[in-house]
Amino acid sequence: MYARLPSAASLPEGRGAPPRPLPFLGSDRSALLVTVLFLFSLLSIPKFNMAEVLAFGAFPLFLMSAAQADVKMIVKRLLLISPFVLFMAAGNLLLDRNPVLLISGLRISGGMISGTVIVAKTIISVAALLSVTQSIPFYRICRALEALHLPDVLVTQLLLLDRYRSVLQEEAQSMQKARDIRSFGRKGKGLFRTAPLIGSLLLRTITRAERIYRSMSARGFQGRLVNRPAEKISRSDWRTIGLWALLFLALRLIF
Amino acid sequence: MHMADALLSPVVGGGFWVVSGALIGYSAKKISEERDNSKTALMGVLGAFVFAAQMINFTLPGTGSSGHLGGGLLLAVLLGPYRAFITLASVLIIQCLFFADGGLLALGCNVFNLAFFPSFIAFPFLYRVIAGNAPTPGKLAVGSLTAATAALLMGALSVVLETLFSGITELPFGTFLLFMLPVHLAIGVVEGLVTWGVLAFVARTEPGLLVPAKAAVHPRFTFALFAILALFVGGVGSWFASSQPDGLEWSIAKVSGSKEFSPAGGAVHEALEAFQQKVAFLPDYGFKSAPEFLANPESPVDAGSSLSGIVGSLSVLAAAGTVGLLLGRKQKGEKQR
Repeated sequence: MYARLPSAASLPEGRGAPPRPLPFLGSDRSALLVTVLFLFSLLSIPKFNMAEVLAFGAFPLFLMSAAQADVKMIVKRLLLISPFVLFMAAGNLLLDRNPVLLISGLRISGGMISGTVIVAKTIISVAALLSVTQSIPFYRICRALEALHLPDVLVTQLLLLDRYRSVLQEEAQSMQKARDIRSFGRKGKGLFRTAPLIGSLLLRTITRAERIYRSMSARGFQGRLVNRPAEKISRSDWRTIGLWALLFLALRLIF
Repeated sequence: MHMADALLSPVVGGGFWVVSGALIGYSAKKISEERDNSKTALMGVLGAFVFAAQMINFTLPGTGSSGHLGGGLLLAVLLGPYRAFITLASVLIIQCLFFADGGLLALGCNVFNLAFFPSFIAFPFLYRVIAGNAPTPGKLAVGSLTAATAALLMGALSVVLETLFSGITELPFGTFLLFMLPVHLAIGVVEGLVTWGVLAFVARTEPGLLVPAKAAVHPRFTFALFAILALFVGGVGSWFASSQPDGLEWSIAKVSGSKEFSPAGGAVHEALEAFQQKVAFLPDYGFKSAPEFLANPESPVDAGSSLSGIVGSLSVLAAAGTVGLLLGRKQKGEKQR
């Protein structure tokens, strides 16, 4: 039933391995569940409560500093905040001009607060998520998802996708480079010229998939990549989740 | 068009998690029933292909800006609806976890908006009906364009409804829709054109890939009905959402005749309120009751509690950062020993 396969066995133990484990978050399973709990708590904060949103920033800040996360990478991602989020924040800023605060003669509108809350929630949720996912190698995230009863089909799909993503991206990069050095200005880079290039990458991908399947079959593949049953959520996991839940509830009550 | 966490309420985000989770479970069951392991590797590598293909940019006709393939409809044509849905969901999960494209809470919405519509609506009920099993070049073009555009527009409509249900935005339904639909119509046309270009290339070089396997299963009419019902409920809900900023507030007002929720059995409520007063950060801080800070007496924002709260929040941030740093250094020291 469970096949030991080269693709599973060669899953990157070292690649993306954590510089430090996540403190006080327990196993990978509880770390993921605590993150979900954190996000639910953060997003339940009313749209005008900036103080509470700020207080919830303590969670990613704690994770980033304790696990010594790659802050540069997280900041880089934060700088690419979705234009859609910025548009929605700007919409609030423009449409809700009702003054709600007057501080030292400075009128602060409801839109200014709710717009800032949208951006702050985005920054905090993205920082929290990236701090956690940066500290757990992807194959371990997949194991945790399996323990959380995600279907085998999806877990196998995630493992294969992660394994071949970089391989195909390299191939796509070299194809694009080849096209660019043969193009003059924009000539040759149009939609109808590029579609066959993507089609060609697609055919190569399908041929590669056939080769992979043949080698997987030769090694006894029967539909699952994982080679041992998923671990169950333990009592200590539940304890960790309960403690963090209490902490988030306390933050919601205090602010 | 990824939905972000910050634009969602927990109820809407959680609701779509349940819907998308159920769809993933159902699709996984259908795939397992097919017992075709040869497609497993193909799904994995085609998911990786979507990432790779998105790196290849092309210039858009008449604009000078650049675009890339989305890949939803293309996967549905190559893999069938259930496998395409799982593959697209896996792409969205990786985008969420590693690139923070759309948040974790928004994942359910994103799977619904970007995977459900191309796989379960646009492909079986538009592309297959128009193009058929052995498409001519004309049918392939019309099928790709119509299905890709419709999938993008349905996804955009869904984003509008999810945001409005969440009550985060001040944008009225009509204005929001008028902004979103034309933008996504243009994106949909480009997606349709590039999908058609890729499929036409495949039809010329490897036509066998476009012929669906006999054993392939397709969603029934119930899926379309489900989607239409979801949109209908969403449309009606958003009408209320646009006229009443907060759906919960509206229902409470209807039930109790008052905008604020005041529980009848107030003992628990009072005890909790007393506890909150006790634990509240800087409860008697000067700003809290200072009337000169209020510009609007009906303001939803309390100047005093906001300022004292922000002082408190900054203290929590500083404490969390310091504890984290100390822990990090301690672990580093232990590792070096």
